[in-house]
Amino acid sequence: MPSNGSNSGAAVWAILRKECRSEWRTRYGLSAALLFAITTLTSVSFAVGRLTDRTDMLAALLWVVLLFAALASLSHAFVREVEGHTLTLLRLVASPTAIGLGKLLFNLVFLVVIEAVTVPLYLMLMGAPPPRWGAFLALLGLGSLGLACAATLIGAVISQTRGRGALFAGVSLPLLLPVLAAAVSGMRAQWAGGPIAAEARLLGAYAAALLAASLLLYDHLWED
Amino acid sequence: MDREVRMIGRLALFLWIAGWMVAAFVWAPLVPVLGETTRVLYFHIPAAWVTVLALAWSMGHSVLYLRRRRIEHDHHAAAAAEIGILFCVAATISGSLWAKAMWGSYWNWDPRETSIFFLLLVYAAYLALRSAIEQEERRARLSAIYSALAFVTVPFLMFVVPRIYFTLHPDPIINPRGKLDMDPRIRIVFFAMLAGFTGLYFWLQTLRVRVARLEHRLDES
Amino acid sequence: MTGNAVVLGVSLLVWVLLFFYLWRLDRRVKELEKR
Repeated sequence: MPSNGSNSGAAVWAILRKECRSEWRTRYGLSAALLFAITTLTSVSFAVGRLTDRTDMLAALLWVVLLFAALASLSHAFVREVEGHTLTLLRLVASPTAIGLGKLLFNLVFLVVIEAVTVPLYLMLMGAPPPRWGAFLALLGLGSLGLACAATLIGAVISQTRGRGALFAGVSLPLLLPVLAAAVSGMRAQWAGGPIAAEARLLGAYAAALLAASLLLYDHLWED
Repeated sequence: MDREVRMIGRLALFLWIAGWMVAAFVWAPLVPVLGETTRVLYFHIPAAWVTVLALAWSMGHSVLYLRRRRIEHDHHAAAAAEIGILFCVAATISGSLWAKAMWGSYWNWDPRETSIFFLLLVYAAYLALRSAIEQEERRARLSAIYSALAFVTVPFLMFVVPRIYFTLHPDPIINPRGKLDMDPRIRIVFFAMLAGFTGLYFWLQTLRVRVARLEHRLDES
Repeated sequence: MTGNAVVLGVSLLVWVLLFFYLWRLDRRVKELEKR
């Protein structure tokens, strides 16, 4: 296989840039994901109305919206390669680990973009009281990291099966439930003014464990 | 000769579990708080233990498959995951009934109940993934990757979450402090059942693997 | 005490049935393996 130190940061960076560029060229994935997120948000907001004094509900619904948006879009990174028959080419120039890490970073950027649009809109539409920004952003970041780690590896696995789209949500959701549970209870504490250290640590540890396992497993993704 | 040894082993397992079942009713005393429901302990905790054991077995063989690419490891991993789910369901149901008796409701999303339910979903997804791939080698490889990743959740769900959140459930499985307060007779029956369940698990495991091997041979011919 | 006896009886019955089911399965598998 390829010559090289393709495990190096340079290769990962190159993959990330290539992903961003090809996403930017069509914006197909991003617009679909944003549309999906906003539609979910609208239906939630429409269905339950403003929840100014129900911060427990606010916390839960926020993560449900984000999770849906992520599940609808994060398998895209690998499925696109398979459908466009570009994966072989990609594998010629980079090691599986570099590809995996690059895609992981891309998914993370992708999530951040989605959140940058969805979260402010959510806070406004639902009439949420102002969050404690430090805690709020920390939970959002750690949660997104866990989401991206699980979704990237599962996306790579799923892209090699039949019926990819349907399977992706079903297979990755169970792995994301711990993230969802911890993030929701952290958000609740954040709005209620309680400590969030336990949840943040749990989210961080879970994301780190997923990341470590992914790094060991990327190598086996494709048969040589 | 080998056959006889195996037969005797199985009969011994049968008598062992049946015997300790009787002992649980007539010999071991009851825990004051738990009353008559004490005996669920001898079923519920061993079932949970076998769940963890089976899932760890599945993860171990998944990793071995990824390294050595022998289909035998895939048989082991799949069989262990199936049996793990089976015992997980058994632990969930017995726990739910116990919760009804002790806390007043079958299901209340106690952190313990939540985490075991998540665990069931994670491994149900493993079986769903397996059924979606037809090529044998690819199925083995991809499900091994998933199984190795899925096992990351096991320590979190089984051990970490219940320690962080408030739960009515007493400390899980291995807990020297809690166990020491127990009457020695309860402890003996408990560990005997644990051993019995472990034996049962390995029997089920070899059976399932042998069936998988037969199916594999049938596919090839 | 009769309640306990019933529970014990049912548990033993379930275990016996399960055991014989597995036992038969084991023998069937063994037969198939010989072929």
